[in-house]
Amino acid sequence: MLKKLLKHEFRATARTMLPMYLILLVASLGANLTTRGLLETEYPILDTIGVILVMLFVMAIIAVCVMTLVTMIERFCKNLLGDEGYLSMTLPVSVHQQVWTKLIVSVVWFAATAAAVVIAFCIMAFDLGVVKQALDVLVGLLRELWQNMSAYYALNGTAIVLELVVLVVVGLAANCLRFYAAMALGYSFANYKLPLAVVFFFVIGGVEKFLLSLAMNLLHIVNVADLFDQILIQHPMTMTHTVFVGCIVSQLILSGIFYFLTTYCLKNRLNLE
Amino acid sequence: MAILECKNLFKKYGAVEALSDVTLSIDSGRIIGLLGPNGSGKTTLIKLANGLLMPSSGEILIDGKAPGRESHAIVSYLPERTAIPIWMNAKQLMDYYEDFYADFNRSAAEEMLEHLGIRPNQKIRQMSKGTREKVQLIMVMSRQAKLYFLDEPIGGVDPATRDYILSTIISNYNPEASVIISTHLISDVEKVLDDVLFINNGRLMLQTSVDQIREEKGMSVDELFREVFKC
Repeated sequence: MLKKLLKHEFRATARTMLPMYLILLVASLGANLTTRGLLETEYPILDTIGVILVMLFVMAIIAVCVMTLVTMIERFCKNLLGDEGYLSMTLPVSVHQQVWTKLIVSVVWFAATAAAVVIAFCIMAFDLGVVKQALDVLVGLLRELWQNMSAYYALNGTAIVLELVVLVVVGLAANCLRFYAAMALGYSFANYKLPLAVVFFFVIGGVEKFLLSLAMNLLHIVNVADLFDQILIQHPMTMTHTVFVGCIVSQLILSGIFYFLTTYCLKNRLNLE
Repeated sequence: MAILECKNLFKKYGAVEALSDVTLSIDSGRIIGLLGPNGSGKTTLIKLANGLLMPSSGEILIDGKAPGRESHAIVSYLPERTAIPIWMNAKQLMDYYEDFYADFNRSAAEEMLEHLGIRPNQKIRQMSKGTREKVQLIMVMSRQAKLYFLDEPIGGVDPATRDYILSTIISNYNPEASVIISTHLISDVEKVLDDVLFINNGRLMLQTSVDQIREEKGMSVDELFREVFKC
């Protein structure tokens, strides 16, 4: 059933996201004209067009990023907590499958948006030498790394890249779940659902910051900073892994808390209008 | 085993009691009218049966189980509002129902859409409110479910559409299933009902058969309703 939910969720969100990527592609092609020399001609009209094209490109990037966020929020809100919830929440699927579907699809779209923005910048700068220069630098770095690579660094390098990827995915998931938990809590009340969801979002953020500063203060009191410095000097790789794993674990804990809040509200406090 | 059973069911919204000590049992193969004035608790009872609300206390069972994914597979529910995604067209909606409900009869749905002249590729967004309601009803009645909950299926539609909806319910439901129709338009549905449940202020006031009302009280369900709920 998760597969079917994912299929329909992708179908529902792709109708918003794919046109947005198309707009970004067109805007990046337009911006490419500007970077190819539209601003350096003797015709003022072409200068104006060049400026407009760059502005449209920037606006397209902002719009794609905003729409990814809006789609993530809107799908959860409308499809589970709005009128569509009468159908979605009476499907023969579990609440966990519903939340996982929303989460997986949102994370995929966030990753796709990041990739689309990078590609858009490449298109904008295409054939200008900038991309070539960047690629040359990257290839040089990789070659140097390959030549100097020992088994120790190869293993650690791969592990760090993997840790980074996991951290990005878990971080994205935690952010989505923060929104889901706030919406699920806000919409569990009979009145002022949306304002309450906004309030809960900020309350959750506030509590997170408070706990983080509390943890930092505790670390300061027990004088962990010196210990960290020593480890960093003596075992830099160990320290790097520790920081990455620590971040991943903290994001996983946050995700777990938000996931519990979301599923608890959807199971026990669902209150569709 | 009863297809729907409520045992001392209570539902409170804050201090307000929407359902109070409701105990009832409904067997298979019946068409039941869940009748009561506005705000009497009809929709709350249906939402509880569909797992869209949790009881404050007491128990509600569908085919012996608490509402959840298993009961959703055997219950076909028509809410009192348009719940189908309006960005879909009728064909996509049928794909959706077919994917999730093993008991969905696609050819029956296509036949009914064709009968009403609704194009499968027409977006639901572009349909009138009445047509959307018909499409939603077609999806609900195209399932071979064990229990149907129809919440105000004829509210807000013209008399001709009312007749179509009622004939759709009668001609499409599985005869071994039970259909619970919530409405306050009693005279329109009376002819299709086997049993009635009268509910007021969250309390179950009467559970009986239509024949019994006619034989014992010598009046129609509509007349009895007007007498019981006289303002």
